[in-house]
Amino acid sequence: MRRLISLLLLLIVALGIFLCFSGASFGAEGASRAGKLTEDKVNFGRRYASRGLEENKAGNIVASVVVNYRGFDTLGEVTVLFIAAVGLAAILHARREEATPSKAEPASLIVFTGCRFLFPLILLLGAYIFIHGHLTPGGGFQGGAVVASGFLLIYLGCRGRGLRSAGVAVAESLSGLAFLAVALVGLAVGGSFLLNFLPKGSAFALFSGGVIPLIYVAIGFKVGSELGGIIDNLSGEAR
Amino acid sequence: MVGTAYSVRDRLKGFLYMLGISFLVWLALTRSLEAQEVLVGAAICLVFSLLLNTHYIRLGLPPLTVKRAAFFAVYLVVLLWEIMKANLDVAYRVVHPRMPIKPGVVVIKTALTSDIAKMILANSITLTPGTFTLDVIGDRLLIHWINVKAESVEEATDLIGERFEKYLRVIFQ
Repeated sequence: MRRLISLLLLLIVALGIFLCFSGASFGAEGASRAGKLTEDKVNFGRRYASRGLEENKAGNIVASVVVNYRGFDTLGEVTVLFIAAVGLAAILHARREEATPSKAEPASLIVFTGCRFLFPLILLLGAYIFIHGHLTPGGGFQGGAVVASGFLLIYLGCRGRGLRSAGVAVAESLSGLAFLAVALVGLAVGGSFLLNFLPKGSAFALFSGGVIPLIYVAIGFKVGSELGGIIDNLSGEAR
Repeated sequence: MVGTAYSVRDRLKGFLYMLGISFLVWLALTRSLEAQEVLVGAAICLVFSLLLNTHYIRLGLPPLTVKRAAFFAVYLVVLLWEIMKANLDVAYRVVHPRMPIKPGVVVIKTALTSDIAKMILANSITLTPGTFTLDVIGDRLLIHWINVKAESVEEATDLIGERFEKYLRVIFQ
């Protein structure tokens, strides 16, 4: 039964890929066809730079490109990170069963207390970075990395205090799903994946850019929980 | 460590401290008083404070009073002054042709009890050049000193710890 389902899913995916690429033209034929298009359509960089702000109302044009114009690519990047985290978890989990648990020496009071004081503030900095991804340099990946550095500090300072793995796992799954859901709502509403369907507001305000901040928040949660999970796995290994 | 019950008072204190500190950090980060920024910041700080207040409960922060806040402000000035003095002292030892140093490790005592107070004392000692806190064990601090002037615990405490501790005692006890 399981095999049948996986075979069916595989067929659906294969069909989808076939449908996508059957219309595309590769090689010399594709190049000559692209050459016939107007320069505005081919020179994406110039097009994004000149029209990005009015189309998406996101102050940071890079965010507009990463999350909206090339959002599909970003979804792939998040998936790559996810697969890497899963792979690492699988390897470490298999090894942990063999290893005998040893007690880690607690960190000094200075590190321990400082880490307790700073941990929430580091999470706040991470949240600030990914919430302002569409206005300032930074975004989901950077903010997520900062959040994960907070988890790393917990690992260094409060050894033996594992993260609440259930919460991290839920955040990881939900944020990934949120990214996909936003993208699919765009498909349902306007007929294209990752369509910016929300009201875009006025540029440079916090509530602007339509779906871009939403997706960046989802990416921030995803990257933070994933890197945090990796650190948790590694610290579980060290314990 | 896990499963310790906190009183409502402690919980409220940790929550309010965290809400206040995190909101100040948010304002410093955004440097904006626009309604959208302030609202989003307040919401995030509220959620964080609800979820993570145990971190701040365990720090052992004292109830906030005007006197404590004033002393903390004075303490920051004193710390800056001590750092400047110690910088000049270490610079003198570095450029002096005979390099008059006498490095060693001494132990000092502290009357402070809460974790955060001991951490601030230890970090203040580390921040002043010439002295460096290696570890805190109970009420003893292990200090590396570039120019050991006194080896007994009492004298070393007077010379190294007391200049900070007299303020910290008022703030944290």
